[in-house]
Amino acid sequence: MASRKAAQKSMSLAPVLDLNEATALRDKLMALKGSDLTIDASAVERVGTLCAQVLMAGAKTWEADKRNYTFAKASEPFVKTMQLIGVDIEHLLAKETQQ
Amino acid sequence: MDMNEIKEIFFQECEEQLAELESGLLKMNDGDRDPETVNAVFRAVHSIKGGAGAFGLDDLVSFAHVFETTLDCVRSNKLEPNQDVLKVMLKSADVLADLSNAARDGGSVDEARSRQLIRELEALANGEMPAASEPPVAKAAPAPKASAPAPAAPAPAVPATSEDGFQPIPFSFDDFDGEERPVEPYVPTCEVLFVPKRDLYAKGNEATLLLRDLSRLGEMSIRCDMDKLPLLQDMNPEEAYFSWKISIATDKGEDGVRTVFEFAEWDCDLEVRTIEDEPEAVAGDDEQPMQPVPFDLSILDDASDVPAEDEPAVFEQPVAPAAAVEVASNVVKLAEVPKVEARAALAASPAASQAAANAAASTAAAPTIRVDLDRVDRLINLVGELVINQAMLSQSVIENDNNGVSSINMGLEELQQLTREIQDSVMAIRAQPVKPVFQRMSRIVREIADATGKSVRLITEGENTEVDKTVIDKLAEPLTHMIRNAVDHGLESPEKREAAGKNPEGTVRLTAKHRSGRIVIELADDGGGINREKVRQKAIDNDLIAADANLSDEEIDNLIFHAGFSTADKISDISGRGVGMDVVKRSIQALGGRITISSKPGQGSVFTMSLPLTLAVLDGMVVTVAGQTLVVPLTAIVETLQPEASAIHSFGASQRLISIRNSFCPLVDVGRILNFRGTQANPVEGVALLVESEGGGQRALMVDAIQGQRQVVIKSLEANYTHVPGIAAATILGDGRVALILDVDAVVAASRGQPLKQEMSLAATG
Repeated sequence: MASRKAAQKSMSLAPVLDLNEATALRDKLMALKGSDLTIDASAVERVGTLCAQVLMAGAKTWEADKRNYTFAKASEPFVKTMQLIGVDIEHLLAKETQQ
Repeated sequence: MDMNEIKEIFFQECEEQLAELESGLLKMNDGDRDPETVNAVFRAVHSIKGGAGAFGLDDLVSFAHVFETTLDCVRSNKLEPNQDVLKVMLKSADVLADLSNAARDGGSVDEARSRQLIRELEALANGEMPAASEPPVAKAAPAPKASAPAPAAPAPAVPATSEDGFQPIPFSFDDFDGEERPVEPYVPTCEVLFVPKRDLYAKGNEATLLLRDLSRLGEMSIRCDMDKLPLLQDMNPEEAYFSWKISIATDKGEDGVRTVFEFAEWDCDLEVRTIEDEPEAVAGDDEQPMQPVPFDLSILDDASDVPAEDEPAVFEQPVAPAAAVEVASNVVKLAEVPKVEARAALAASPAASQAAANAAASTAAAPTIRVDLDRVDRLINLVGELVINQAMLSQSVIENDNNGVSSINMGLEELQQLTREIQDSVMAIRAQPVKPVFQRMSRIVREIADATGKSVRLITEGENTEVDKTVIDKLAEPLTHMIRNAVDHGLESPEKREAAGKNPEGTVRLTAKHRSGRIVIELADDGGGINREKVRQKAIDNDLIAADANLSDEEIDNLIFHAGFSTADKISDISGRGVGMDVVKRSIQALGGRITISSKPGQGSVFTMSLPLTLAVLDGMVVTVAGQTLVVPLTAIVETLQPEASAIHSFGASQRLISIRNSFCPLVDVGRILNFRGTQANPVEGVALLVESEGGGQRALMVDAIQGQRQVVIKSLEANYTHVPGIAAATILGDGRVALILDVDAVVAASRGQPLKQEMSLAATG
């Protein structure tokens, strides 16, 4: 259990996830690969398509690794932008953030 | 920078776009089917529309819109750009230019013509589209129009909603089966396939913003295709992996949808089609269901108020104020278009921004700046003064320094070199290709061909030949006159041409080239040539020549340059109030140029204009004639020689010939021709300058002495005094004195004793 606990990592997303942020975001995610991951998207004010792609590639990768990939918290702009661009993240949202 | 300045920049851009448009259409007219040509034409109209929308130039916007729609049909291969189609398009380009000029200068536009063309363009977009394969472009594609009334043609009803702050005009592509169908009560649904390319993001565009704007058009469902998305370790974070299939119920039609993507469409694959069936059917395929987009996305608007989404380092992303979203969609697009810092001033015009984006995309084009012509002229004037000043300085040093090897003298030589280089560089700033003038001529040809019912092809060559801007500006008017004449009088009617075994389509060829330091512009037609009998008779009738005058063909041809001469039987609106060719000749002469004609009966005429490359400076030979200092343009001089008594031969009463290498050349005493002296000087005491006149003949001009060779700054006599026959202009010499610049051709012509009164006056006033 202890090792399982140690593999649980978390990260917070920056308020602005634009083109400049995409590479950095990917690198951050790559560094966390192999662990269960909880993402805090509560501070996100804007998210662009490229960062959305990185986040969803992350979900795909974590799924392939059979690890958990969860958005613990998500701001309204984050959720609405994802809805707008047709990216379904409902299954990734932690239960308590789902409405 | 205030709004007017920005607007002015838009109009300058507009001019460039119009030129681009016309040259593209002409290329297409010549059979060019390169998609890039079609795209360039489309982009030109599109950019004009975009910019005009930003400034509320409604007439321009509405015309450009219809034009663009038709061009889009060509672009998407729904309409074959044959000659008939291109004829309408070229005319439309003319109207677009008129509208742009009217918007700039407040002039008026022939509204009937513009309405007629709108109808023709609509008909093209309408009629030629295959009915089976493609659904209508739009049930209702409203073209914004504010002031002008709607086209007179009955148009099917369209939703009377105001779009983008404009009043819509009824504009529909109708139904392709020809039946007028009532507008259905349901809102038509568009299906959109949007596949961004990597460049879309690289240029600072953002799919989320495009989709947000799209969602404002109506109820929207979306499905994001993530199939291409790789695993994190394999992905390039700046690559475009997502693509979308969207279904949107909107009354804005396909055009409305495309408008959202208009500044991104080069960087994405976009398919838009209207679904005629019930909207439910759209998503009813075997793929995943679409996700409805929440209607209230206002929270994302707030987000766009903070600086820029996806901001690449070199781009500054302008902020879209929430209110602007509701104004013109063109203006909204500003938020998505990246602008280059260096051209920040242009940012208020989407057209300009688009151009900036294009400029950023292509590194091939050399960077340019726009400079007010006045500033260049001021610089040129100053350099002119510098040249004079430097000459004066040299002169006084020479006068005070007899040995000529002092360091001051050497320094002066370097200064002279530098001055010369500065002058050349400054002149190069003013040098422009003749292309814009030539392009204007193609419009003139089209209009006159239309008015006269003749079929004419204009071929232009050497349009990149450069010449001083002043020359270009002043060239347009005489050239217009000549082109009109060539089409109206020069070319025969198609029937006559066919009868003469010629192609019923006449050809007018406009050529520019550099020849010995001058620009030579040739206008050739393959018409009937000058009817010499008729010209001669007319000249006799008008009392220009005596009934028994013995004139050579060349002299008869030259009669048409005489004031008050017109051979047209009918006076038409196009040409022929008798003010034609003499005005042309005078305009060309005022530019320091000359015009000659050669004509072959049945084969056509060639007008040749030779003009100086610049009106600012001249390389000249400074000579003395009867105590006066004159400057002879160096370009006219073939060689100089000291005549020997044995080489001089008398011919007739007063003519003298000089024998040069076994050929005889008339010897012309400049002092006598200009009336500087009453009797002819002794040739042996002077120097002969062998010159070549534009007509091709050589003459030996006799002057008293040569002072030297110098670059002189041309000062117009016309502007400062009045035209003096035989004199082209004046200059200021190093010692501050004024010297006259010889008009070599006029002197040569006068020496021939031209029978024309106009030319005879040379001697009288000279």
